[in-house]
Amino acid sequence: MAEFRLPANSRIAKGITHPAPPGARALREVRIYRFNPDSGENPRVDTFSLDTASCGPMVLDALIQLKATVDSSITFRRSCREGICGSCAMNINGVNRLACTTALQELSGDIRIYPLPHMPVVKDLVPDLTNFYAQYAAVKPWLQTRTPAPPDRERLQSKEEQERIDRPAACILCACCSTSCPSYWWNSDRFLGPAALLAAYRWIIDSRDEATGERLDELEDPFRLYRCHTIMNCTDVCPKDLNPARAIAEIKKMLVERQV
Amino acid sequence: MSLNTPLRQVLGLGSAKSGVHHWWLQRLTSVALVPLSIWFVVSLLSLPALDHGTVAAWMHHALTALLLVLLVLTAAWHSRLGLQVIIEDYVHTSGTRTLLLVLVGFAHVFLAAAGVFAILRVAAGGSA
Repeated sequence: MAEFRLPANSRIAKGITHPAPPGARALREVRIYRFNPDSGENPRVDTFSLDTASCGPMVLDALIQLKATVDSSITFRRSCREGICGSCAMNINGVNRLACTTALQELSGDIRIYPLPHMPVVKDLVPDLTNFYAQYAAVKPWLQTRTPAPPDRERLQSKEEQERIDRPAACILCACCSTSCPSYWWNSDRFLGPAALLAAYRWIIDSRDEATGERLDELEDPFRLYRCHTIMNCTDVCPKDLNPARAIAEIKKMLVERQV
Repeated sequence: MSLNTPLRQVLGLGSAKSGVHHWWLQRLTSVALVPLSIWFVVSLLSLPALDHGTVAAWMHHALTALLLVLLVLTAAWHSRLGLQVIIEDYVHTSGTRTLLLVLVGFAHVFLAAAGVFAILRVAAGGSA
């Protein structure tokens, strides 16, 4: 029933230490989690020496530099390099964040890079987000109405009504929040997690949406919603400064409100 | 191996459409426990002595016995709700989980009944 150690094939083995590049001026040690499912070997942590003098300022720059100059097999997701695509979410020095918006300078000591916690690892820093995306799909993240759209214009919203969804709608689905949540670690098969619940909240409070009751019905569940114990890691780590914990609390309040 | 779609896995058996009641009661009982616990501790500390005779005499007051019964019932209820959350969080084998939830429920009903019975017996003046 209780597991106190990682499964035998998940335990981290000793990795390779790569030598410093010749002529390096400002060295920093970077330790990167490595796992290759094809090798049949356990994961390991490789140690690299990064010359920060010849590297861009961000952690993503460091990864790209090391991939280009030391080990081309380092695997990670990245796309926009400006914090809007959410691809390069990873655990950097113990905190889930985007590699592209985390400056090497703001990290003290050695740099330790791991994949997002408690997710199946596809390879190196690439987690399997299949379940995470399915949870997002499960909350029906689109407008649901019964009133037909006006034939000659958009569905209107007041400025205040738009401002209410402005922040929740800024979520980039990077999964930093959900994978930092202990409740999500233990029960991700049934607990929807902060990201999906924030998305649900965004549609619940959308002034144009007419499925509020059905949405609340779908969330009212001991596991889907109430596994949240207000731990607040989600809000702490959000790289977009959003507040999923607050959104979940608001959903809980609405569920009480419609009963009393 | 399962060839179910990821969405089917997430949707599972659907929403239980419950949980508000549990959440609300956990908060109500915690709010009620604040004054009850303070009253209990302050009352005990302000007794001249803590021997059986003094405490039994204190419990002979109707209001004392009533508040003690409320304290026992509220605490037992709150504890049962809290343990349920812990079991749901950490026990993942569904058979074990169900069994533990049932046992915890029985244990709390037993403890609450025993507590109320003891209070009433002392309050009614029966010998110890």
